[in-house]
Amino acid sequence: MTLRTAPTTVRVALLAALLALATSLTLLGFIYWRMHDDALTTLRAQVAEESRVLAEVSRAGGVQALAAAVAGEAAVDDPALIVLLLDRAGRRLAGSPLPAPAARLTRAGGFRIVAVAGGEAGVIARPVAGGWLIAGRRFGERLAWQRTLERSLGLAVLLAGVLGAGCGLIVARYVGSRVAAITAAVDRVGAGAMDGRVPLAGSRDAFDALALRINRMLDRIGSLMAELRLLTDGLAHDLRSPIGRLRTRVERALASDDPATRDQLLPGVLAEADALTRILTNVLDIGRMEAGARPMDPLDPAALVADVAEVYAPTLEDAGLALAIEVDDALPPVAGQRQLLAQALSNLVDNALTYAAEGRRLCLFAHKREGGVALGVADAGPGIPPALHGEARRRFGRLDAARSAPGGAGLGLALVDAVARHHGGRLELSDAQPGLIATLLLPASGPPLDMGRFAS
Amino acid sequence: MGRRILLIEDDVETADYVARGLAEQGHVVDRAADGRQGLFLASDGGFDLVILDRLLPGLDGLSVLRGLRAAGVATPVLILSALGGVEDRVSGLEEGSDDYLAKPFAFAELSARTAALLRRGEGRAVAETRLSVGDLEIDLLARSVRRGGRPVSLLPREYKLLEYLARHAGRVVTRTMLLEGVWDYHFDPGTNVVDVHVGRLRRKLEEGAQTPILHTVRGAGYRLAADP
Repeated sequence: MTLRTAPTTVRVALLAALLALATSLTLLGFIYWRMHDDALTTLRAQVAEESRVLAEVSRAGGVQALAAAVAGEAAVDDPALIVLLLDRAGRRLAGSPLPAPAARLTRAGGFRIVAVAGGEAGVIARPVAGGWLIAGRRFGERLAWQRTLERSLGLAVLLAGVLGAGCGLIVARYVGSRVAAITAAVDRVGAGAMDGRVPLAGSRDAFDALALRINRMLDRIGSLMAELRLLTDGLAHDLRSPIGRLRTRVERALASDDPATRDQLLPGVLAEADALTRILTNVLDIGRMEAGARPMDPLDPAALVADVAEVYAPTLEDAGLALAIEVDDALPPVAGQRQLLAQALSNLVDNALTYAAEGRRLCLFAHKREGGVALGVADAGPGIPPALHGEARRRFGRLDAARSAPGGAGLGLALVDAVARHHGGRLELSDAQPGLIATLLLPASGPPLDMGRFAS
Repeated sequence: MGRRILLIEDDVETADYVARGLAEQGHVVDRAADGRQGLFLASDGGFDLVILDRLLPGLDGLSVLRGLRAAGVATPVLILSALGGVEDRVSGLEEGSDDYLAKPFAFAELSARTAALLRRGEGRAVAETRLSVGDLEIDLLARSVRRGGRPVSLLPREYKLLEYLARHAGRVVTRTMLLEGVWDYHFDPGTNVVDVHVGRLRRKLEEGAQTPILHTVRGAGYRLAADP
């Protein structure tokens, strides 16, 4: 982990330094380009011409003629002009006064810029018979100023390099420390300290935003883990009793020599096994719904209610419950999965059958609500005290021993709740005084359907 | 009469149990323990039914199914799966399987479904207009039912239930098969609503008749047949 952060920091530092340098260079280059002109080129051409002409003279007329020409040139009243003849030892033979120590001038090799008294000059030194011919020109004010600027720009480039490196280091240290804080927190969580969180700098910048998101993710993971623990605890607890009953029946059947007794015990074993399977299937369904979405179809709420009512009507009648169906006209369709919604409604009816049969009536309804539809079941049984509504919809949140019928694992309302949330809605529990109203509030998915078919 | 069934299942114990049961019913059962081998054998097309586990090593069950259907093999496929949630069942059927059975299952359930699928394979080209079981007659066009010449009045759902039973006459039909086939409910309502519906249908069918016709098969389901 730490091995990886070091090169990243170095890269960030390099990048920052390079960016700073590139910016400075661009600016300096721009200044140079604007200020620079061909004054130096002109001066150079002039000096070269001067030197060439005098060299011609030397070749044609020898040293005497050259000395005369140099003297003549030097006599012209041009303060910028430098023209002189030196002997091999560097002593002046003719021409302008020495502008700089001779050693600085007597170097062959074309045009050079040398420091002279009162500024700089461009010179060309040529070896001639018996000495050196020096031709040159002092820089004018403009050229001198340009030279100063060039030198300053050079220095500025150097400075920019140093400053860029400094910037890079500062940025790298800052980024490094913020990243290190996040890494440390994530490492702590990774090592098992699930309550570890990334500290916020309070600067509301991207690092804080990242830290906030990581913390939110950790919160979600934490609550999922808590839920998972609850689920496994609940499963372990609720599977224990049916497995226990199963075991007892099998043991008794094995111990019995009487085939009749055995035949009496075995169906119970199957029933317990089926109840176990049902619990697992429900848990699986809830988990699936929480895990993700599947495509939804437009469904008619009235048809859903009618179907469930049709399935349960004979059973309710046998149980002595009067069934009422209340369906509003012009209900909007809901986007959903028919199987899940039908299962949710079936669960509600099933709950009422199990816990509220003494109420003698049951109502299946589909009402219009603001922005959606309310589907559900109202019974006239003992109901659930409002304080326990939260507990009732929790997975395995079985209210009390009295309410738990054999085989019921308290998953009914948890499943209904999961179905409602899966469809972007929620499960609402309310008091029917007496009785319980369990309502699935689902968002509408379009304009109301033509309900003519279902009006009856 | 025995038929050729390919069982693609990696769990040895389940495979033994299913294969033995089917062999006892007179079928010839070939086995494959992974998806690739299963797809290879099934592509041969010589089987009357493929029983396919959904979670397999090598190539998962749904991929095998897709491969088969893509190769134009129309053999009926029954999926067995430990994934028994509503959504898993529906997605399994959507993928082109002919039936779906969640583990753990009762052998009676598998046997009933297998029989239904094998019968489907026999093919009935002529569209039927009447079904008869003993002295029970169903007119599929008029949607009317007579027993011993006497009309029996049924509610629409009771009629659908009877039609389903009659189409599987003589064979066991389980509660979940009825829930799926008659109500299109692919989940298990806790209360045994099917029993109540069947009870009412039976009462109407057997009212005033001498012999029972709708039999309860213990631990399995129901059977519509003239003989007990």
